[in-house]
Amino acid sequence: MTRNRRLAPQIGEVINRSAPLGFTWNGKPLTGFVGDTIASALVANDVRVVSRSMKYHRPRGYMTNDFWDPNAFMQVGDDPNVRSAHRLLEGGMAIEAQNVWPSLDRDIKAANGLVKRFLSAGFYYKTFIRPQTLWPAYEKVLATFAPGGTVDLDTPHGYYDKRYAHPDVVVAGGGPAGMAAAIAAAQSGAQVMLVEHAHVLGGHLRWGSIADRALADELAAEVHGAGVEVLTDSTVTGRYDDNWTAIVQRSHPIAIERLIKARAKTLVVAAGLIERPYVFAGNDKPGVMTSGAVRRFVNVHSVRPGERAVVFSANADGDAAAADLERVGIRVARVVDARAGENVIEAHGNSRSVESVELADGSTVDCDLLVTAVGWTAPTSLLNMAGDRPSYHEQSARFFGSASIDDVLTTGGIAGDGSIDQLVEHGRLTGRLAAARAAVIGHQLQAATARAVEPANAEPAWPTDDRAPLDRHAHPELFRSSTHGIVDFSEDVSSKDLVSAANEGYDSVELLKRFTTATMGPAQGKLETVNTVAVLAEARGETIEQVGTTVWRPPYAPITLGALGGRVFEPVRVSSIQPWHEAHGATPILAGQWVRPEHYGDPMAEVRNTRTNVGVIDVTPLGKLDLRGPDVPKLLNQLYTNKWSKLAVGAVRYGLMCAEDGVVLDDGVTARLSDDHYMMTTTSSGAGSIWEWAESWLQTEHPDWRVHVTPVTTGFTSINVAGPKSRDLMQRLVTDIDLSPDSFSYMQVRSGTIADVAGCFMWRIGFTGELSYELHVPAGYGLHVWKRLLAEGVDLGVQPFGLEAQRIMRLEKGHFIVGQDTDGLTKAPTTGLANLIKLDKVDFAGKAELAWALDDDTAPVLVSLQPTDPRLVPDEACQIVRAGTNEILGRITSSLMSPTLNRSICLGQVLPHVAAAGTELTVVLVDGRRATARVMEHHAHYDPEGERLRV
Amino acid sequence: MSDRAGSEPAFESSVLRAYAPGSSNALTLSDESALAKTIVRAEAGSPASASLAVSFGSSRREGATLVLGQRPDEYMLIGSAQSNASIVARLDTSGHVSVIDHTHSRALFRLTGAQASATLEKVCSLDWSNAMTPDGAVVSASIAKVNCDIARNDREPVDAEPASASPSYLIACDRSFGQYLFDALIDAGGEFGIGVVTAADGLQE
Amino acid sequence: MLLVPCPNCGPRNAADMRYVGESGPRPDPNTATPAQWRDYLYTERNPAGLLRETWYCRSGCRTFFVVERDTTNNQFVHGPTRVTKLGGKA
Repeated sequence: MTRNRRLAPQIGEVINRSAPLGFTWNGKPLTGFVGDTIASALVANDVRVVSRSMKYHRPRGYMTNDFWDPNAFMQVGDDPNVRSAHRLLEGGMAIEAQNVWPSLDRDIKAANGLVKRFLSAGFYYKTFIRPQTLWPAYEKVLATFAPGGTVDLDTPHGYYDKRYAHPDVVVAGGGPAGMAAAIAAAQSGAQVMLVEHAHVLGGHLRWGSIADRALADELAAEVHGAGVEVLTDSTVTGRYDDNWTAIVQRSHPIAIERLIKARAKTLVVAAGLIERPYVFAGNDKPGVMTSGAVRRFVNVHSVRPGERAVVFSANADGDAAAADLERVGIRVARVVDARAGENVIEAHGNSRSVESVELADGSTVDCDLLVTAVGWTAPTSLLNMAGDRPSYHEQSARFFGSASIDDVLTTGGIAGDGSIDQLVEHGRLTGRLAAARAAVIGHQLQAATARAVEPANAEPAWPTDDRAPLDRHAHPELFRSSTHGIVDFSEDVSSKDLVSAANEGYDSVELLKRFTTATMGPAQGKLETVNTVAVLAEARGETIEQVGTTVWRPPYAPITLGALGGRVFEPVRVSSIQPWHEAHGATPILAGQWVRPEHYGDPMAEVRNTRTNVGVIDVTPLGKLDLRGPDVPKLLNQLYTNKWSKLAVGAVRYGLMCAEDGVVLDDGVTARLSDDHYMMTTTSSGAGSIWEWAESWLQTEHPDWRVHVTPVTTGFTSINVAGPKSRDLMQRLVTDIDLSPDSFSYMQVRSGTIADVAGCFMWRIGFTGELSYELHVPAGYGLHVWKRLLAEGVDLGVQPFGLEAQRIMRLEKGHFIVGQDTDGLTKAPTTGLANLIKLDKVDFAGKAELAWALDDDTAPVLVSLQPTDPRLVPDEACQIVRAGTNEILGRITSSLMSPTLNRSICLGQVLPHVAAAGTELTVVLVDGRRATARVMEHHAHYDPEGERLRV
Repeated sequence: MSDRAGSEPAFESSVLRAYAPGSSNALTLSDESALAKTIVRAEAGSPASASLAVSFGSSRREGATLVLGQRPDEYMLIGSAQSNASIVARLDTSGHVSVIDHTHSRALFRLTGAQASATLEKVCSLDWSNAMTPDGAVVSASIAKVNCDIARNDREPVDAEPASASPSYLIACDRSFGQYLFDALIDAGGEFGIGVVTAADGLQE
Repeated sequence: MLLVPCPNCGPRNAADMRYVGESGPRPDPNTATPAQWRDYLYTERNPAGLLRETWYCRSGCRTFFVVERDTTNNQFVHGPTRVTKLGGKA
């Protein structure tokens, strides 16, 4: 029989009774109201068991009724692990219990509880660690019993967001002290961001007395009036160097979740206090709750968490909970006063609820609700992240920050105790101090930043902290009763587990944590850290101070991976011709950041046409660095292994670059356009890094050299016009450059006008091995020139070709590609270009290593290979081995089918003793078969003398 | 047609997609890539540097050109081709001075409106407040993971009241990233109702 | 995230920078022994305390500069200064 557990309307309740919301709980239709959390709606509908515990699958009900409630995880639609005591109810939500099978009420996994002794601390480690070969089988079985919701892999990627901010002051926590700090800081002229974990400001005032709630509203209004940026349902979840704070904003109009990276000049930690559960037998039975949980249910959402209560109270909050219960007509059968030495020994009950409580005086009291108010955990995470190591204060039974940090201040419960007025006053003083310090830091930043407004005044003096500290009220030390109970509710770790682990030798808090997994569940220590330490201290016969705690690390509250990713920034580059390529059937390929045409349908035909007629390819991604100044030859001599002092105006030279370890870094050509003006090309992927590299040589080793390096890669659209008819085509588009072979020969550069576009330059080089002109056209006219090339060359058979055809033609010519045919170990001599290493230069990058490398006769050699079977194209990276063995002699680095030779062709790196022309080598194919290939005399499979490109 | 022989070719921007109008004119984005961009490299203290008369991190209007001090030894002139050319022509190029036409190398956009700074906050980690990045400020930074040169160049004086403030930013990036960056700014400004407007003819007053 | 003091731009996020590494002189490639050269290439002192290191203001002014940082608390103690003769290792 389901009872309606909604109270009659209360003053200060946040639900809107005229706005009902339908939802389902494990398929059953229920109704709540706007303003309800999932938890309050469920409890109002008489739902008591809301989950099963992780390991033993014990029935659980709401215990802390807030974000940290370890029993509150639910599946909502396709959203797993929803914190149901925090998430607001929405109409149509399909809410289900998770970690249960086949159902919440009949959970077969609860059989785990019968074998509890086998699941004690360290059980997983000890049982499944050997033999290692069986781990995959263990893993599969354990995975079906793993907690957590269900991830739907078909859920589309949602829209998440990220934002940066530079507030003067970030206040973490919107309770009375936090709000007061935000108001005071804003009134001092600071730009303030106030971050509150809950959906509304107010902190513990929200579930307090009518007067408390009125004060919360008053302060909240003042916050908004002061121009504070208020972020609710948001958490400062990390603090890093120089007050770089991570704020997760869980509800935002345009995004599922938003991560704010805020550089706070000062951070005010007003995180309040988290109520600690008490450890005793039966402490995880449904109906055992903290005082805060009860007050939130009753005062905020007007629901009855039980009908007959026992209240175990050590403080004013417990007393207030008892008063609240009585006020709304819930019978308080007994107040057990911890301050008078009274104690709770064990909670008894059935699978649905607590039924009675056994007390230290021997009596047993019937109840369906046991409220505990035993003290507080200070959530000092942000202080830990700022380098503080909080220390334990015995008289008040909780931890306090112990360091004084210039740009991180605390206020509110985390800093001490007092009346609301005292907390608010401390908050105001803290906000004023935070603003004053932020002003100094802001002044320093402004003065140090070139683009900023020059500060008008001198730097203000550093404001000292003259706040009177808050009191620390005495509080009984209450962690565990005389019985054992659950310490970590998320991980199902009991005090008994902790004691036996300590007895086994895991008696340092860090070891204990990892061995038992206590504090490692979703609550992340918020509820269980202090009890864990206290139980360990008891087991060791030491004080809490001596045992110490684990360090709190980010994130304080979880962040979805979507929010960490934010909106997707994946920059892509395109040439000015790319839209044309797409409109003409090009298959796009992503090469680094560049989207390029791989081919236009038939790369083999593109090769044949280029070798027969003339082809055009968009090579814009080729790195281009404009070099100017009288000392350019010195720079070139430093960067390249070969010599550059005598490059004539109008000439182009190939060069190889090596890093200081002698490994091939990049290659390309550099042209001398005029006396002091050169154009360097790099590989597409090297464009950015070679620019930085050149700058590093100029700035650090040779600041006296007068050279200006300017990247112009995308300032020019680069087009290679290749093929025997390329000169015929170019003659139709160029009027001011003499294209005759005698005047403009191979490895030369000319500047002029192409297709009516002035300011172009072109050179004759030959990656394809054909007569070719590489045009560099101001990018805004790139498409124009491309179209003109195709229009003017129709009768010559001009066709575009893509990257694939170019790769085939370069392999036919045996040109290596840095990064494909070389790797991170390939030093220059391997490439066969030892003649480009000029040791008689005074210096160049990698000189020392290359001098030694030239004497190394064991380094691999780059060779051309042809498989014996001309139809066989071995995959790139196939190993080359000694016949009949698995002894590796090298590998295939490039391989393709050549339409020109009508056979497969390869490049590979092999050891020097098998590098001689004519050597038959064994190649291991991907499927394990072995094939043979022969080492060729020349790198070039086609036209080894290079006659075609010199015409 | 521009692809016929003898015809004067027309400059093409990197931004070629068509955009629907925005929901408000409080935040606008325009493609100014056709403006001439000229790089001048000159050491601080050189005669050329002195005549350009802007320090690193700031900018100055001269005729139809905005002169940006975007590197300690590098200036960018943004404006009409004639105006840039006349400034270059007057430069004392003694010493080591280089002049490079960057018109085709850089895409150039203008982001304007009360929410322009808030939009940049979503794609860039810099502080865009009036104190740290005032009108006239010049800075280089990564926007949506693309390196950009940015000049704050307000179209009308910014009042003290945020409501009437209308910061405007000129944003230059490698031309090949132009379409990507334009779309990234549109996406970032979506929550503020960003709209694409036609570029002004020349540098705006 | 660390704020790194660029000599031109002012303090900027470490993500705007490239960390080049510990600063030290580049040996003369003509006279260095293999041991000396490889020490230059691969050995980092990695002290707990003051460290002279080179940064490159990649997203900003594109300057290489040297600072001295206390690795125990990430405070920049000396600098920044422009780099001169401190190694082309990049």
